[in-house]
Amino acid sequence: MKLPSLFRRTPFRLTLLFLALFVATASAVLAYVYFASASEARTRAEASVQGEVDSLTAIYRTRGRDALNQALVERAIRNGPYLYVFKDAEGRIITANITDVPDGVQPGQWESFRLTDTDEDGRVRRRQSIGVNTPLSGGEHLFVGEDIGDIEAYLARLTQALWGAMVMVLVLGVGGGLWISRGVERAMAGLNRVVTAVQEGDLKARAPIRHSGDELDELAEGLNGMLDRLEGSMASIRHAGDAIAHDLRTPLNRMKAKMEVALIDAEAGRTSGVEALGVALDEADALLKTFNTVLAIARLQAGGSPEPKVFDAADLAADMAELYEPAGEDKGLEFAAEIEKGLMIDGNQPFLAQALANLIDNAIKYTPEGGAVMFRARRRSSGDVEFSVTDNGPGVPDGDRERVLQRFVRLDNSRTEPGSGLGLSLVTAVAEAHGGRIQLDEGPGVFDGRGPGLRVALILPAATRAPEAEA
Amino acid sequence: MRILVVEDDAEAATAMVRGLSEAGHEVTHAVDGAFGLLESQKGGYDVYVVDRMMPRLDGVGMVETIRKGGDQTPVLFLSALGEVEDRVTGLKAGGDDYLVKPYALAELVARVEALSRRRETGGVQTVLKVGDLEMNLIARTVHRDGQEIDLQPREFQLLEFLMRHAGQSVTRTMLLEKVWEYHFDPQTNVIDVHISRLRSKIDKGFDKAMLQTVRGAGYRLEA
Repeated sequence: MKLPSLFRRTPFRLTLLFLALFVATASAVLAYVYFASASEARTRAEASVQGEVDSLTAIYRTRGRDALNQALVERAIRNGPYLYVFKDAEGRIITANITDVPDGVQPGQWESFRLTDTDEDGRVRRRQSIGVNTPLSGGEHLFVGEDIGDIEAYLARLTQALWGAMVMVLVLGVGGGLWISRGVERAMAGLNRVVTAVQEGDLKARAPIRHSGDELDELAEGLNGMLDRLEGSMASIRHAGDAIAHDLRTPLNRMKAKMEVALIDAEAGRTSGVEALGVALDEADALLKTFNTVLAIARLQAGGSPEPKVFDAADLAADMAELYEPAGEDKGLEFAAEIEKGLMIDGNQPFLAQALANLIDNAIKYTPEGGAVMFRARRRSSGDVEFSVTDNGPGVPDGDRERVLQRFVRLDNSRTEPGSGLGLSLVTAVAEAHGGRIQLDEGPGVFDGRGPGLRVALILPAATRAPEAEA
Repeated sequence: MRILVVEDDAEAATAMVRGLSEAGHEVTHAVDGAFGLLESQKGGYDVYVVDRMMPRLDGVGMVETIRKGGDQTPVLFLSALGEVEDRVTGLKAGGDDYLVKPYALAELVARVEALSRRRETGGVQTVLKVGDLEMNLIARTVHRDGQEIDLQPREFQLLEFLMRHAGQSVTRTMLLEKVWEYHFDPQTNVIDVHISRLRSKIDKGFDKAMLQTVRGAGYRLEA
C-alpha cells in the first residue's frame, strides 16, 4: 500500500509520532489519577463510616438498644451523610433511612453497591455507595453506609475533560504538524532546487536564506559556503588550466622552432643535431617542472596542507640556511641567518621546505654581487611563526608587490634570469594552505648605491597540537 | 648486473631498457605487475625497477607479494605521483627508493646502481676507504694520504655518501634526498656549491682529482 505523500514527509511523521506519544502518556496519567482518586475516596469514606459505626456501637454497648435506635432516628432526621439500616435479631427493620440492606451484604464485610435514589426532579439515580454490616451483641444487625456518588461524578467529569483536551490536542497537533511540515518542506524544496541545479552543472545556484537562524538556515548557509568554495576551486582550476596552456605555449613554440632549425642543419650535414637535442631536452625538463609546480599550486589551493605533521620549523630553517649559504657566498653575497629555537608548526614539511627554498633562492638570484641576504625565523609576539628573507637588491616597486604573487608574473627586469614566475605563487599557495600569509615590504632602503631591497615574510600559525610520536 | 623493469608504458620501458643496457646492465622487461611477479620468481635479479600504476597487479601489490615471499632484492619505485604520502606508501610496501616521473635516464641509472651497491655492504663498517682517502666513522675523521682533512658535519655526511657509492654516479637530487633528507626542488644548483667546497678540501694540493663531475648526471668519487 502506498501512503499518501503527506505521511512520507518527515515533519508530519514526527508530529504524528509526538501526538501518539502524548496520547499514550496522557492516558497513563489519566488512568493513574482515576484509580488513585477512587481508591483515596474509598479509603476516606471507609474511615468515616467506620467512625460512625464505632460511635453507634458504643451507644449500643453503654446505653442499650433503645438508645441506639433513638440516636439513629435523630441522625436520620438530621439528614446526615450516612445510610442506616437497623434490624432486630429476626431480620425485621427497626429503623432505616434506605429501603433495606443492599443484597448480598454479609455481616462484618465492606461492600460496594449502587444505591437507587431519586433526585429533586424525581429522576432515578443509581449512586455508588459503600457500607458495612455489623452484627451486634443482642443479635441485631447495624448497617452503616455512605453515598460516594459525588466523588464518582467528579472523576467522571475529570475523565471527560481530559478526553476533550486530548481531542483538542489531536486536532491542533495534526493541524500544526501540517503547517510546520509545509514550512519545512518549503525550505527543503529551496535546498533541493539548489542541489538539483548544481547536479545539472549550475555552480552559481544558491539556497535562499530565510534569516530565521534555525538549522535549515544553517544548512542553507553551509551549502552556500560549500558552493562558494567549490566554485572558487573550479575557477582556480580553470585559471590554472588557462595559465598552463598559456605559459607552456611559448616554450613549446621555442622548442619546436629550435628543433626545426636543428633538423634542417642536420639534414644539410652541417651539425649532428646532438646539441639541439640537448637544448630541446632542457626545455622539455623546464616545461615539466613548470607543469608540476602549477599542479602543486592548484592542489594546495584546492585541498589545504596535505598530510600535516607537527615539526620544529627551526630545524628546517637551519637546514635551509646551511643549504643555501654557500650558494649565496659563491655569488659574492653576504648571507646571514638568525633562527630562534623551538618554532613548532603543523604542516607539510616538504612544501614548507620548497616555499623557504623559493624565497631564499629569489633573494640570492635578484641581489647583485656584493649585496646581502638575511634569513630570519622567529616567533612573533602574536605567537605566529615568521620566516623572512631580506635583501638589499633592487626590490619590487610598491605597485607591483601584489602582482608578483600571481602566477606567471615576472617583472621586466627579471626576465633575463631563469625562472617560471611561479616561485612566489607557490609560496603564497603554501602559506594559504597552512592558514598563513605572505607579506612583501621594502628592504633596508637605498644605501650606498644599493637597495631599496625587498623583505618577504612567510607567516604561519604555530602548531596547536603536540607532535605525534615517531612510529 | 641483472635488472627487471616492470612498466606498462611501452615508450617509457623502451627508454629505460636502452638507458640501463647502455650503462652495461642486462635488462628484462615485464609489461605489468602479474608478469613482473612471474619473472621475479625465476630469480637472479639484482634490482627491480617497478612502476606504481599498472593494470592487473599494480606496483605496490607486486612488491608486497614479492616481499612476503622472502625476496629481498632492492626495489626502485617509479611513479607519476609525487606526493609525500605516495612516497611513504611505496617505501612501506617494501620499496627501497622512489623516483618521480619525469626523471632523467641518468638519474634512473644512478639510483639503480646505488641500490645494488647497498645490498653488498651489509655489515657495519667503521672505516671507509677509497683510494688514498680514508674515513673513520667512529672518530669522525678524514685523512687523505695520511694528511688530516677538516670537514664540517654536512661535508662529512656528503663525503660519506660519496665514498659509500665510490665509482658510481650520484645525482644532485640523490644527494639532496639522502644527505640532507629533503624532497624538494632547490631551484638553483645549491648542491654544486657544496660539492665544490668539498672538492677544494679533499682534492686541493693532490695530483689526482677524486671528486669528478659527470656530465648530465652528477658526481662520482673515483679512487
